[in-house]
Amino acid sequence: MKGMTIIVKTIASWVKVLIFLFGISIILFGHLTPGGGFAGGVILASSYVLLMLAFGRDFVEKNLSLPAASKIDCLGAFLFALIAILGFAFGGVFFVNYLVKYSQPLRLISAGTIPLSNIAIGIKVGASLFLAVLTLSIFRLRQSTEKKE
Amino acid sequence: MPYALCFLLFMIGLYCAVVKKNMIKIVIGLAVMEYAANLFLIMLGYRVGGVAPILDKSFLKQPTGQVAPTEPIASFINTAVDPLPQALVLTAIVIGLGSTALIISMCIRIYEKYGTFDITEIRRLKG
Repeated sequence: MKGMTIIVKTIASWVKVLIFLFGISIILFGHLTPGGGFAGGVILASSYVLLMLAFGRDFVEKNLSLPAASKIDCLGAFLFALIAILGFAFGGVFFVNYLVKYSQPLRLISAGTIPLSNIAIGIKVGASLFLAVLTLSIFRLRQSTEKKE
Repeated sequence: MPYALCFLLFMIGLYCAVVKKNMIKIVIGLAVMEYAANLFLIMLGYRVGGVAPILDKSFLKQPTGQVAPTEPIASFINTAVDPLPQALVLTAIVIGLGSTALIISMCIRIYEKYGTFDITEIRRLKG
């Protein structure tokens, strides 16, 4: 997959940072404003898709390769399961909110385990959607004469 | 009345998924059915004349300086739109994106093997 002209490359290298920061803000403030883990994760993945469209797939694969993105995906899922199991250890019930007694309402650090769950879900969804688009671009259209089976 | 229009949207998506012969048009019909289902879930939580279910710090402060009054919170609960279907539909939209990506990759594979997008041709070829 080749890249685009130099105008597109310059603008994309400025805009990708803003998109990534916007996605992080939607994840972190998920318990105060609309959004949360899922929507923020999609925005994180879309910044990498913009990079893939403007610079070509090989440039992005050197930056964040397929095994590295797969490990980040598994790390997000493992963090989410860890938060749920710690609820069973500290509170007695699976997935209970065991940090809510230390927080005041309507601040950034509040609502117990909900911001931590948002961060784990955002990491997982972002890595998964980036992997999906990367895999779709690797298996390109081949000629039907050089089939394997 | 809005529920009847949502059902009409679902029927349009079902018509596309059943009648059309091009594979990409079938995928578009499935996506329109997903939109109709998410729209129905959001419309269930609506309240006529309601406000958005978002609190901010002005709800906690009063002019006399006391904390946590009960009267504004009770009126907020009585007039706010239900936020739980909105959170679930946000999850459902992202899951629909994932399943659409899976169906598109299957369409690409069928095109590589048979050379056509027409589903009536696929029945006759042996591959």
